[in-house]
Amino acid sequence: MKPLPLNQLDPRIKSVWRLNDAISATLLFVCCAIGFVIAGLVDPDPSWEWVVVGIMTLIYVLTMILCVVVLPPIRYMRWRYEVSEDYLDIARGIVWRKRFVIPFIRVQNTDTRQGPILRLFGLSSVTVATAAGEHEIPGLRSEEAEQLRDRAAELARLAQEDV
Amino acid sequence: METQNQMPPTSQPQVQQQPEKIHVHHSYIWLGSVRIAFYVIVASGISLASSLAGVISELSFGRSGEVFLIFGVLLLVLVLFVGALGISALVRWWSYKHLYYELTPEEFSLHSGIFNKQRIHVPYQRVQSVDQRATLFQRIFGVCTVSIDTAGGSNNKAITIPYVSKTQAEQLRYELFARKQYVMTGSGAQASVASFQVPAQEYAAPSPAQYAPGAPAQTQQSGNILDAPAEIWQSVGGVFGGMGADIAPVSYEYGMSNKELILTGLSNNTTFVVIVFGIIGVVTQLFELMDGLFSPASGSWEDAAFDAAFAAPPQFLVVFAFAFVAIMLVIWVLSAVGSCISYGGFKARRRGNRIEVEYGLLQHQFQGVDVDRVQSVVIKQSFIRKIFGYCEVSLGKIDAATADDDTNKGTLAQQGLIIHPFVKVSRVPEILAGIIPEFAGVPTEITPVAPVALRRALIRRGIIQGSGFWLAVVVALCMGAVEMFIAPKAPYDPDLALFMTFADPACIIGFALAFTLFVLDLIGAVLWAKSSGFAFNRSFMQVSNGGFSREVVSFPRKKIQFGYTKTNPFQRSAHTATITAVTAAGVGGTHVKLVDAREEDAQAWLTWVQPQRNMVG
Repeated sequence: MKPLPLNQLDPRIKSVWRLNDAISATLLFVCCAIGFVIAGLVDPDPSWEWVVVGIMTLIYVLTMILCVVVLPPIRYMRWRYEVSEDYLDIARGIVWRKRFVIPFIRVQNTDTRQGPILRLFGLSSVTVATAAGEHEIPGLRSEEAEQLRDRAAELARLAQEDV
Repeated sequence: METQNQMPPTSQPQVQQQPEKIHVHHSYIWLGSVRIAFYVIVASGISLASSLAGVISELSFGRSGEVFLIFGVLLLVLVLFVGALGISALVRWWSYKHLYYELTPEEFSLHSGIFNKQRIHVPYQRVQSVDQRATLFQRIFGVCTVSIDTAGGSNNKAITIPYVSKTQAEQLRYELFARKQYVMTGSGAQASVASFQVPAQEYAAPSPAQYAPGAPAQTQQSGNILDAPAEIWQSVGGVFGGMGADIAPVSYEYGMSNKELILTGLSNNTTFVVIVFGIIGVVTQLFELMDGLFSPASGSWEDAAFDAAFAAPPQFLVVFAFAFVAIMLVIWVLSAVGSCISYGGFKARRRGNRIEVEYGLLQHQFQGVDVDRVQSVVIKQSFIRKIFGYCEVSLGKIDAATADDDTNKGTLAQQGLIIHPFVKVSRVPEILAGIIPEFAGVPTEITPVAPVALRRALIRRGIIQGSGFWLAVVVALCMGAVEMFIAPKAPYDPDLALFMTFADPACIIGFALAFTLFVLDLIGAVLWAKSSGFAFNRSFMQVSNGGFSREVVSFPRKKIQFGYTKTNPFQRSAHTATITAVTAAGVGGTHVKLVDAREEDAQAWLTWVQPQRNMVG
């Protein structure tokens, strides 16, 4: 097996993932459970509603443990990238492991993005788009992301317009 | 119309002159409004039909006043029709006034809209192809819809200009390409652009003799019965069509022979469905027979109820199956005739560095693509075609999402650009060498999938993705549920007993279907493992996925946008990997995938995808 790419993401990305997943899981849980909670409160003889809510809470707690405690370190370990002279190498995935090779001469545009959570941790994500889909490197220190973007853009400028 | 876009592209583009507003053909007004009026009539007819029928049924004939009333109603309908026609014509006329295009020195611009003005600008160097298509009515009147494809990313849209006369469309196409060439190469292309300024009278006789004598067209003399009507269409060109215009020399051209055309129709996908249903019918009969042999005299209440319900149940099933097969046959014949007509007048040719394809007897299509923009060559064999050794050849290109909603493209245009719908496999290299010699260096030595792939394919296709297996599971669950909940009550309830008589044959049919599918899945898996693989050499890659049908995709290395390998835990322990090369063909890219290549092959391939400085491309 070819050695994995060298660079890892910024360690703070783990917290970003935790926060992101926790927020979306909580929102989903609230949306699903609220109907049953109201039904349980209104129903004069509530029994099954609370059972449903209980099952949902159990699933929610398990998901939270998985997303907050178990997955982020493994994901962080598996997420690697390397910007070589003329291609971008990405390895990621825990169960389904993927290894991408994206030649820079096929890259059409690159940009950096920063959502509120990423900004909270002072991180940025870099997106590299080809004519057939885009790839995101999710968490890099902002100045590192800028550098990477500039470098990718510079290499991409050499791309032929021949799609 | 003949003279309005004779403005040569070389007439000093630097000098700012007011570009001419070119309107589309006037059939936009009346042909369009007739269509709208037709819809209005149908809609109002449906809504008025009941009340009209009520009025008419109340009338008793004989009294002159009521006859008069009928005339009144008819008159009203007529007035409605004329009114609808008039109003829609007025609207169409109004929007016609505001629908025009301009060829400015830098760009093509299309203006449209009455209140919401819309202007679409296309710089000439972005024009990639100018395609035409025409519905039956449009063909009769010699107009067509022109769509201009641009080079775009994932969300590019084609610009459509409706109702352009044939001549105008051809001229627009040459004009756009001439201007593109002019812009791309600068003034150096003056001479070649000038050659596009062919005087109008030279359009008059488009015959092979017209081509440059130095480069005689290398055409294949194979035709078919539908070529003659297609040529009549071409030469007549419809009422307002005018004469065709052929300018650049054709270096290679072919059509389809009679045999190919008819077999195209006969071997379409419906055939496969008919055969599958035939097999299922046979297997059902076998199961019935076995059922009869193994439980001939159980003498339970079930048999009694069964006999009560149908005196001769097998015959019932036979009749049912035969009716089904008969219906399928009719559908098959209809679809065969349909695809014959839709491929009638098929012509593919290489003109300069463009590939042009036209087909369709009633709904005509003209598509072209620049050779540099061809992403891949796809050779497809459906099951039936594979038996006879025929295949379909198409080119992958970046497709644009068409902006208009009344696309008549159907399924034909969705598969890239078909350069031959039905050809013997042995003739494919010859055709490719003629029409797209750029793909000459495609590798031939296929690296097969890993040996362990057979076992994995059997499990994957037979069980995990196995339609037959899961159908059997569903049927078994249903049967279990019936046995558990309904069977105990059946002896006491005649309705449920009747239901039980239906449930048994249903289960038998279900299991027969599941068994057939399961066996087909397994055979497909074995075939896949035996005939799949990939190959790559210096500048090309080829992936073939076999099975009942077969698909071979070849593409140049420089069209690979990116590539990746993917493994799941089982693949890691079996030392295989899925390789995927992504090209930009289609809308939003195409993933060409091969499951279970050997790990070291996959590694070698991934290294090959990495650009290397010392290699060209």
